Amino acid sequence: MAVLEVRDLHARYSARGPEILKGISFDVEGDDFFAIIGPSGAGKSTLIRCINRLVDPTSGTVKFNGREVTTLSSRDLRLVRRDIGMIFQEFNLIDRMSVMDNVLSGRLGYTGNLRTLFRMFPRKDIDHALHLLDRVGLSDHVDKRADELSGGQRQRVGIARALMQDPKLMLLDEPTSALDPKISREIMALIKEMAEELNVPCLCNIHDVKLAMEFCNKMIGLQDGMTMFAGPTADMNEAKLDEIYAMEVL
Amino acid sequence: MDSTSGLHLMDQRTDQILARRTKRQRNWGLCAAVLFALVIWSIDVTVVQDTDWERIGSLGEVLESAGQFAGVDWTLFPDLLGPTLETLLIACLGTALGVILCVPATWFGAMNITPFKPVTYPIARLMMTLSRSIHEIVWALFFVAVFGLGAMAGVFAIAMRSIGFIAKMSAEAIEDIDPGPVEAMRAAGANSFQVLLYAILPQVLPQVAGVVIFEWEINIRRSAVLGLVGAGGLGLVFFRQLNTFNFHGVTSVILAILVIIFLGEAVSHAVRRRMI
Repeated sequence: MAVLEVRDLHARYSARGPEILKGISFDVEGDDFFAIIGPSGAGKSTLIRCINRLVDPTSGTVKFNGREVTTLSSRDLRLVRRDIGMIFQEFNLIDRMSVMDNVLSGRLGYTGNLRTLFRMFPRKDIDHALHLLDRVGLSDHVDKRADELSGGQRQRVGIARALMQDPKLMLLDEPTSALDPKISREIMALIKEMAEELNVPCLCNIHDVKLAMEFCNKMIGLQDGMTMFAGPTADMNEAKLDEIYAMEVL
Repeated sequence: MDSTSGLHLMDQRTDQILARRTKRQRNWGLCAAVLFALVIWSIDVTVVQDTDWERIGSLGEVLESAGQFAGVDWTLFPDLLGPTLETLLIACLGTALGVILCVPATWFGAMNITPFKPVTYPIARLMMTLSRSIHEIVWALFFVAVFGLGAMAGVFAIAMRSIGFIAKMSAEAIEDIDPGPVEAMRAAGANSFQVLLYAILPQVLPQVAGVVIFEWEINIRRSAVLGLVGAGGLGLVFFRQLNTFNFHGVTSVILAILVIIFLGEAVSHAVRRRMI
């Protein structure tokens, strides 16, 4: 069974605004590294945010492990969200907190208000955070403030924070767009390695087609909110890419 | 085109522009004349008619009256210690209470976190405006009527007067935060309280702390005069010295006020520099 089933998803930000997504459907299986490619403004960010309802879709269905997400109450939505890790283009770390506190914030969905207030995370969470920080290569930076790190290091913190949730699915929103090409490849390789090791499927918005072809096994190509291509990466070719990105020069 | 008619058109255009400029100059002249008349009238009403010129007397007598304040009543200083401390404490407690009271106003008054915008946002704006548009002396009169004479009225007056500025600045700081961390915390399954604690507070804390310290510094000045209406502190001593015609004593109180204000400024400066 697919981990994520998206069917005929539509989205718009305001009643009279333009329709951003015009009926998107796809499945993400348990071992997929699934890319969403397409030019800026195609609706990639909106699509990925409809999965965990940072943006509410106007119609269509999103099934996560067989459970319909679009109709969940806010309480149940939080429980679903903690099973879905997310990595962001601009990292979205809490700058004035330590690397450790940033990684621990991935556990907030499992933590009560009182414990949150005093930042009292259980010992096993701290153990887990240290282990993850070691895996992403930041064991020397545990006590530094997040804003002291370089871009690549900051994204590593973002990866550790997302994995801290013990996610059943990872959403990656342009994880490498703010990084230089060499660091981008390292970050993608790290995400892929961790995802395979922990058996977590990934859904990844990515602008850089070369990286997508290299790391992802399936992809859909969006253009102006519509699916222009869907299938295994191996079926993608130069002509189809040209068609997807045809509007970008405008 | 015929060259003479071209010239004629040009002439017309020049006339138009000139006419417009003359009209504008005339309007400005009119405005200036009205303003000048208003100024003369207000000087007449407030200064010329409203002053007891007999009581002022000659220039020499004016200087003599002012000269009465030259000199310090040193014997008063031991008695000033208590009220000075009281003034400082009114400022500190008033600011602290103000910070607590401004939490709802800040929460309701920040567009991006206000719980129910059409209702809660106007409530917050009303609280902020009310707090700031009523003078601290008026607040003090109100609380003296409520609690009776003494420092407690002063503490509440300072607190109420502080809400507006602290809440307004804090709400604006919250409106200006980077929404990224908020999104990240929501995506991780955090509830609103956790989002506030992890994604919003850390971003605004330095700014809010700076505002609170600034307000505390101003509150020292404010609490120094609250005693004039019986709300405790140095103002009360000031009032007593003036009533008993001990003008040197008045100067002593002013000196004491200056000392704590300088103290406040020094502390505020040092703390804010360390935070940045």
